[in-house]
Amino acid sequence: MNPAAKLYAEPLDIIITGVGGQGNVLASQVLGRALLKLGYGVTVGETFGLSQRGGAVMSMVRVVSQGVMGPLVPENRATAILSLEPLEALRVLGAYGHPQVVVLTNDRPLMPVNVIAGANRYPDMADLQAVLAELSSRLYWLPATDVALELGNPILANVVMLGALAASGLLPLGLPELEAALAEMFPPAKMEANRQALARGAALLA
Amino acid sequence: MADLSKLMPGETVLLQGNEALARGALEAGVAFCAAYPGNPSSEILESLADSAAGAGIYAEWSVNEKVALESAAAAAYTGLRAMASMKQNGVNVAQDFICNLTISGSGPGGLVLITCDDPSGISSTNEQDARFIARLADLPLLEPATPAEAMAMIKFAFELSEEIQNLVVLRSLSRLSHTRAGIVPGPLPQTRPKPYWDPKVNHATMPVVPLHAKMHEKLARAGRLMAAAGFNSYEGPQKPELLIIASGSSVLYAAEALQLLKAEDKAGILKLGATWPLPEELILDHLAKCGRVLFAEEVDPFLENEIKALYAQNAGRLGAKAFFGKATGHLAAIGENTPGRLAAAMARILGLEWRTVDEAYAKRSAELLAKLVPPREFGFCPGCPHRASYWAIKQTLAVDGRQGLVSGDIGCYTLGVLPTGFRRVNSVHCMGSGLGISNGLGQLGRFGFDQPVVSVVGDSTFYHSALPALVNARWNQSDYVLCVLDNSATAMTGFQPHPGTGRTATGQPGKQVAVESVCQALGLPYAIVDPYDLAATQEALYDALQQGGGVRVLIFRRLCALVQGRQGGHPYRMRVDAEACRGENCGCNRFCSRVFRCPGLTFDQAGGAAVIDEVTCVGCGVCAQICPAGAILAEPRKEAAA
Amino acid sequence: MANHVAAEATPPAACLNQLKKQVLDAGLCVACGACVGLCPHIIFYDGRVAAPDDCGLSQGRCLDLCPQAPEPAQESKRRALHAQAGQTPAPPLGPHAGIWQARAASPDLAGRAQYGGVASALLALALEEGLIGEAVVTRGGQRGAPQGALVRDRAGVLAAAGSIYAAGGSLLALNQALAQETGPKLGLVGLPCQVLAAAAMKAHPSYPAAARRLGLVIGLFCTWNLPARGLRALLAAEGLQGPVKKYDIPPPPAQVFLVETEKETREIPLAKVREHTLAGCALCPDLTAELADVSIGAAEGRPGWNTLIARSAQGESLVKSALERGLLILETPPAESLDHLRAAAAAKRARAAQAWKER
Repeated sequence: MNPAAKLYAEPLDIIITGVGGQGNVLASQVLGRALLKLGYGVTVGETFGLSQRGGAVMSMVRVVSQGVMGPLVPENRATAILSLEPLEALRVLGAYGHPQVVVLTNDRPLMPVNVIAGANRYPDMADLQAVLAELSSRLYWLPATDVALELGNPILANVVMLGALAASGLLPLGLPELEAALAEMFPPAKMEANRQALARGAALLA
Repeated sequence: MADLSKLMPGETVLLQGNEALARGALEAGVAFCAAYPGNPSSEILESLADSAAGAGIYAEWSVNEKVALESAAAAAYTGLRAMASMKQNGVNVAQDFICNLTISGSGPGGLVLITCDDPSGISSTNEQDARFIARLADLPLLEPATPAEAMAMIKFAFELSEEIQNLVVLRSLSRLSHTRAGIVPGPLPQTRPKPYWDPKVNHATMPVVPLHAKMHEKLARAGRLMAAAGFNSYEGPQKPELLIIASGSSVLYAAEALQLLKAEDKAGILKLGATWPLPEELILDHLAKCGRVLFAEEVDPFLENEIKALYAQNAGRLGAKAFFGKATGHLAAIGENTPGRLAAAMARILGLEWRTVDEAYAKRSAELLAKLVPPREFGFCPGCPHRASYWAIKQTLAVDGRQGLVSGDIGCYTLGVLPTGFRRVNSVHCMGSGLGISNGLGQLGRFGFDQPVVSVVGDSTFYHSALPALVNARWNQSDYVLCVLDNSATAMTGFQPHPGTGRTATGQPGKQVAVESVCQALGLPYAIVDPYDLAATQEALYDALQQGGGVRVLIFRRLCALVQGRQGGHPYRMRVDAEACRGENCGCNRFCSRVFRCPGLTFDQAGGAAVIDEVTCVGCGVCAQICPAGAILAEPRKEAAA
Repeated sequence: MANHVAAEATPPAACLNQLKKQVLDAGLCVACGACVGLCPHIIFYDGRVAAPDDCGLSQGRCLDLCPQAPEPAQESKRRALHAQAGQTPAPPLGPHAGIWQARAASPDLAGRAQYGGVASALLALALEEGLIGEAVVTRGGQRGAPQGALVRDRAGVLAAAGSIYAAGGSLLALNQALAQETGPKLGLVGLPCQVLAAAAMKAHPSYPAAARRLGLVIGLFCTWNLPARGLRALLAAEGLQGPVKKYDIPPPPAQVFLVETEKETREIPLAKVREHTLAGCALCPDLTAELADVSIGAAEGRPGWNTLIARSAQGESLVKSALERGLLILETPPAESLDHLRAAAAAKRARAAQAWKER
């Protein structure tokens, strides 16, 4: 099966980042499954390591019309960065950013324990937003956790962000494809919340 | 993990590298799978265990890697296909057996060892290259580059093992094991042989010399079969300016680096998937066509050194060559390869311009990151019993006042070397070695050594390799306190069961082997404490430290906070009384958030008081015990299980 | 991303770090407890003071209050505190308005107490008269290690009577009581090191509660002290088991440490005891608790009697009141005893001065 739509970039390299426990790996799997179903060549590289112990975590979703890519996006070559935590968006930009990169980030900070301990400072949110905008061609600064909390569970922020990504024009797919991929991974009882999270995420870009 | 036996043949699915290896093994008809958990290898046995009922195989979490491989070898002796999977460190544990197994041979059933190496030590205490075992023990070595190739290779590995009747090593990497890609499953076999070991047949290592010779013959035959298996290939110009010899994930990085450099017409890639014994003919053939060679592999210069040795034998015929790689510093001798690192090396050799991004952007982003981005330190989870345990150990060793030492071990609690464990751990090496270190220290009193010694070991590590050291300490009356940090799970690698949990890999009940039953059997004095109860834990540890004499055991027993979270959660809703909180005032200086360092307990700068992060806090109640002002309140949460 | 790891900043002169460096790690601590209870960073357990973490603060009281802190030197810090109380150091016995040999008139006190029951009698009187509302005394605690306790009446005083030859950190209880900015006046019965610390507390600009509430300080003579663990080790080495009823060091030339248990009374040579004493005690110049309101010790050659020194006006009037009520029997000490006491006090001063020099 050959994919129908042309990709935004070839390869389309989307880095999903965040903090352990935010559902980063799940988001990358949903995206990977949906794209694979449309016939694209998909590679999802996951770096979790000690992620469940409060560390940063990163997945790389690499999409091509044909063939297979390596698991690592080359340095400074990400097409887009989808971040579940704003500081992590900036951290990833340093290694994978370039003037044309698109950034979508949840605006809810998760304090590193070294910041909580007072050893380091978390940047001012306005500074962080300005810097992300400066280092990207497009920044979507999104209240994904707020939306998720409105839906009843902060863990849905990852699905809200996927909904936003689908509405950004970067993906060759829409909400139904993501929903179908989610349905493969969640019991039907959980799908209503996921559907709403996708829709609310997409609406953030409307 | 999912039941891989349910995948539809021919229908593309997104599978992780480890799942592809597991599915490939199932398609190859594997019957017996054993492993000890360790990232990045854990998902192999996890998915096989979850597929065990569906596929009719046996899958076990063994107590350690050596037992896993020995058990698998036994199955192979009866004609069943068997495998053991482990992370790179596990190969060391199994090494003694491997070096003898290769002499005795592996019998009629195919036997495969999967090692998942971890360049950059993403989830490891080292980044050891486990390919050494192939050369050390003269075993065939396969290095897949993609999940699809991993699936194909493992099938070949079983066939090859049966052909030569010796163990075959397949080496994965974190970037392969933890990469998902579209995989097309094949059919599963419908039959398998009935296991039988002819009593007239021995699998032993004697007589050594003739069997050693046979082992060499096996390896030579393996080389011929591997050369024909199609895992080695060349892509590039007929006479390239640069020959890149690559294995594993570096094959993909090298190809991408050439694209980035737009140098596909200048350099070619000799992809090696069947790497040991070296495909000499193929390599010599390509060396003859090119004067410059770059090696792209992780972590050690394994191919680099072996191929240079091969070249030395043939240098007269081949003429002068220039070799580039780790030895010349064109690639780092440590850490992972990346497409960028390879592109930089190629550009340097070929005299090309290479920059990942324009200089102004790179400079500006580096500047902003340095200014704005704090590190994100690893730490114990909210509610983790290890935080409480190390708190008690820290406080107690301080009041003991004899400059006590703590030998660490391998597990979540290894983080005791970091601020999250109050940097209270003085040494960490490999599984179980903390007890050995303590055992040695515990004998130094006779030389005037007067520092008390504490060994911390997790429950899973206790069974893996602490037992012999503990028996030794009991026997020789080594003077130390062993703290078994028993959180009733192999938490670091994904909560796999172990003998103390009484459940097996497939979720079936096994016979529980409790830590205290081991202490009883050894005649060791022991006590069980709940690390959440700081005062009681400190008192028990203080008493144990004062006792002296031989080894004595404290079992710090409290379920892993993440497991507790799945089982109904913790008993408290925490709250800070902002009026009572002393905040940054003299004498406290944010004692709770600055020193205790739980992510669930933060500090509100504006309000000048500690505050519970309700999303993060799990309600373990420990921080209430450390607040000098009694400002942190633990209120029972009605809906929670105790 | 290791290049984005920022270094953790630690203030160079954090007070607690200095206390650790200059006192705790230097082996000077005598476990008086002056620093304990001020903040959660300093902990006390089984007779030992420890500070496992950095407090990260540059301003704090812990080092200022420490009687063993090397700076300022003993002599100058004592001189300043005497001056603050309107007194002169008056070596070798310190400022005094009167010196007597004394014992409590009431037999229940004299029988229970270490020597003449004078400390208990004066403390009970001070509580009864309302001079103070509460007092911090030292008594046996967990593991037999002494600890501070707050008493409010005669019964509490009696329960704590008798010396416990181990460092008790009992100023922890004083700091805890002083955490309440207001409340009744507080009394303290303490060793010379604790009396020095109490004087420092009263004089500390950041400890107004101490200035406001610390009412009466009764000092006890002291030549050296044992750490709680050292005392236990000594008893264990001697094979002594069971609860100890009484410890005593009879005046020279006995050169023994008496330990009385239910079963027996054992004499341990002082040379053996000194192997276990607190190293920091060798640096203390103060035999008679010179900064107290009244100081009390054994009376040489006179079992059942104390030496009593009234120092401050308040101390003097308390003694007077006790005499008027018939609670104390006072006698003028023989000149020879006073000479010996002066010589012993001078010798301790000289030993300490030499010990500081040799450090």
